[in-house]
Amino acid sequence: MAQGKVYSSAKAALADVQDGSTILVSGFAGYGVAWSLLDALVEVGSKDLTVIYRDGPLPEGTGARLPAINNLVTNGLVTKLISPLPFLPGNGGAIEERWLSGDLQIEILPQGILVERLRAGGAGIGGVFLPTALGTRFEGDKERRAFAQGEAVLELPLKADYALIRVAAADTLGNSIYDGSGRNWAPIMAMAARVTIAETGRIVEPGELDPEAIISPGIFVNRIVAAE
Amino acid sequence: MALDKERLPREVVAMRVARELPDGGFVNLGIGIPTLVSNFIPDGSVVFYHSESGVLNCGPLAEEDEQDIDLINAGGQFLQMVPGMAFFSTVDGFAMIRGGHVDVTVLGAHQVSATGDLANWMLPERGVGNIGGAMDLAAGARQVIVAMEHTDRQNNAKIVQDCTYPITGKGCVSLIVTDLAVMEPTPEGLVLKEVAPGWTVEEVQELTAAQLLSAPDLKEYEL
Amino acid sequence: MPQKLDELSMARRAASELQPGQLVALGSGLPARVAEVAPPRAPLQLLSDSGALGYRPSTAGLAAVGPSLTGPDGVPVALAEGGSVVGTADWAAMLRGGHVDVAVVQPARVTASGDLIGWTTAATPGLFAPGRTVDLAAGARKVIAMLPHTGSDGSPNILADSSPVADGRACVDIIITDIAVIRVEEGGLVLAEVAPGWSYDDVAALTGASLSCADDLKEIAPSLEALNAEPPGKVYPDAPSAIRDIADGATVMIDGFGGPGGMAHYLLVSLRDQGTRGLTIISNTIGIARSVNFGTPPGKLAIDHSILVDNGQVAKAIASYPVSPSMSNPSSFELAYRRNEVELELVPQGTLAERLRAGGAGIYAFYTPTGVGTLIAEGKESRVIDGKEYILEEGLRADYCLIRGHKADTMGNVVYKGTSRNFNAVMAPSARITIVEVDEVVEPGQLDPELIVTPGIYVDRLVVRPRDFSPYE
Repeated sequence: MAQGKVYSSAKAALADVQDGSTILVSGFAGYGVAWSLLDALVEVGSKDLTVIYRDGPLPEGTGARLPAINNLVTNGLVTKLISPLPFLPGNGGAIEERWLSGDLQIEILPQGILVERLRAGGAGIGGVFLPTALGTRFEGDKERRAFAQGEAVLELPLKADYALIRVAAADTLGNSIYDGSGRNWAPIMAMAARVTIAETGRIVEPGELDPEAIISPGIFVNRIVAAE
Repeated sequence: MALDKERLPREVVAMRVARELPDGGFVNLGIGIPTLVSNFIPDGSVVFYHSESGVLNCGPLAEEDEQDIDLINAGGQFLQMVPGMAFFSTVDGFAMIRGGHVDVTVLGAHQVSATGDLANWMLPERGVGNIGGAMDLAAGARQVIVAMEHTDRQNNAKIVQDCTYPITGKGCVSLIVTDLAVMEPTPEGLVLKEVAPGWTVEEVQELTAAQLLSAPDLKEYEL
Repeated sequence: MPQKLDELSMARRAASELQPGQLVALGSGLPARVAEVAPPRAPLQLLSDSGALGYRPSTAGLAAVGPSLTGPDGVPVALAEGGSVVGTADWAAMLRGGHVDVAVVQPARVTASGDLIGWTTAATPGLFAPGRTVDLAAGARKVIAMLPHTGSDGSPNILADSSPVADGRACVDIIITDIAVIRVEEGGLVLAEVAPGWSYDDVAALTGASLSCADDLKEIAPSLEALNAEPPGKVYPDAPSAIRDIADGATVMIDGFGGPGGMAHYLLVSLRDQGTRGLTIISNTIGIARSVNFGTPPGKLAIDHSILVDNGQVAKAIASYPVSPSMSNPSSFELAYRRNEVELELVPQGTLAERLRAGGAGIYAFYTPTGVGTLIAEGKESRVIDGKEYILEEGLRADYCLIRGHKADTMGNVVYKGTSRNFNAVMAPSARITIVEVDEVVEPGQLDPELIVTPGIYVDRLVVRPRDFSPYE
């Protein structure tokens, strides 16, 4: 019988994360962030990580909260960030400091392009022609081509080793649902990673979730961890 | 004469294929012998079925009086509702296939070449055919297993040096399981790994239009 | 100097640009405040990249409070009745696919040609990263830029020249600042309105680009009354009235994975009865249910695309599974194909789904490994990317789409049933006019917003399938 998907702890689910891995971290302004997995990843201590995430800090006046990946960066585990919103200048804490000192590379790109590149990675697409970056600083030297609708820019797929996501509930087969803004990047990140690890406050038996309601089918969710 | 000898029943071919499926893996089964494979999953292991009709974790077929037109598999058969199912759209279903999330697909074929080209969507004499999900499965599934009769009804070889029918995918087949043999296409050629009981390598070769290379550990069909 | 407008006054002016029934994507900062001033019950769908579609501030006193929903700024919001939850990829697809009527953004700078600079340096706190701005600027049909007229040092935020770095080119249609409303026109910037007490000269002095003055320069005094007008309803009395404008030569998407499930039989029969000819049909099959049977009761025939083919209405099909699996039991389409009466473009099923998604999501083309080395690849670009071979496929759109849903609310939000979701959910965003046949239409708020598969923004018309309507005839 195959190893079940439910792991005893966040640390156990992350035990095989190698140095140099690429990690997807779900979250939007603190919603849908896998905090337990992120804490455990700091404990596991894998280094030279490339982290792809949106989350983003909350703007001033809405409550001070550090970005989800702050601890990973503070502990010197991250070499590169790919994000549409890595930090707010002057309020970026460790991320900004390490970026300014050259210890952290940051690749910034618009979130609609990032999410489509991740989807392409997860869906086996070799590249997509999108009009979004046309004429902007994000076009760079990417290939530009004319189609019937107009010009578009070639964006290449992105894949990762792991995705750390937060789901509202999962059955033991990995079928998962989300709660409100917690959905955000998770369904796409779950597709784009070789191993997707979901933390959730609610693990149920197969059949307890409405099959019409499932957003991330179990084929995209490899490991499940109970979390607060 | 080899032509008259008894070949293995379809169920045995399906049983042999079932041994190849990874425990806990996601599997897409085509129509014909492939469909039978689900009846022979070894005790103690579990396989999850993906269907292009838009459902994961499909189970048994529905009884005649419980048929629901909104619950079908890719072959158009009616399914039972089972715990753990998930419904999704076609675009997500094929993202699963192309994205390498489906571990194995088992397909039937008109022809398979020595290098693993697959032809299963059109008979040239018909002039039109159905691709359906076959090309995506051929290109996207991590492993493509062909399960079929070794020859057609007129004893024409279906395993050929080069496909003469329009192909579905190039070099995509990793294992061929027939009612006579188990073969593996490799860059060096078609390796014969197992032979049905009572059949000799020569007899199998006679019904195969590609040169068979006997594997060092060639053995009898193993169930 | 006279007083500048406060943020909520600016937001009210921005809101007055909107029309009832529009889908409006809001960015963070000033644009987020548009949600605060929009009339709570106005038929205006606000969209945030947090996944909230059809939201209002949580203080708006709406019934359907979202479970844990935020707006673009990380501030909790609530869903209005008929709102739904989407993922980031869905949000981006709505924008790129041209489904968003208006985007409201706060750039750091705007130029006379309507270029937008989302962030410059650390001197623009809060706007350092592009986040959503580039997507909003590129995707929406109309872009409203909201920003202070000048920086904190008094330097103008509206500039003459195109910057070498831009986050959107020639995308801004109207600029709303704390002292003025400026239209971006072909010939340059036109001052349309000024804040109370401000003159053309005052504004021009703080603007870094040449500014002409509208003949009817007005004072900013927005009214939001018009936003409460109800847009035309989506529910049609019957199928014939919903399909009446489908004209000869139209391209029509019709789902139906194969069997009778997921097929809009009621619309299909109406289309036959209407007799529209020269149709291009985009569909998975082009009518195999009659050949395969699919549990058809004795003495009956399944309703499928064959009824259009038999009636001589189909000129071309784009399909993945066009003919019966059995050669000895050919479908109407196969017989017509043999008589050279119809054309066929054969597309692998996954490629068809992906082309439809691309069409609806503003993806012009994509590389797929499916079909490499086969007949499908002939005439198409082939390319090796990262060691793997792909072929280029383009997005696919249609004039009309006939969808089979299970339930819908009057705003057009649709849920499906079982495997009948399949191509229906993929096609809905890809047609100019999407018509959905459902078993039941309910009031907004009666469908679980987490369960809505096709949001109403993709649905133009709804028809209730008569209770006794049979998928067989």
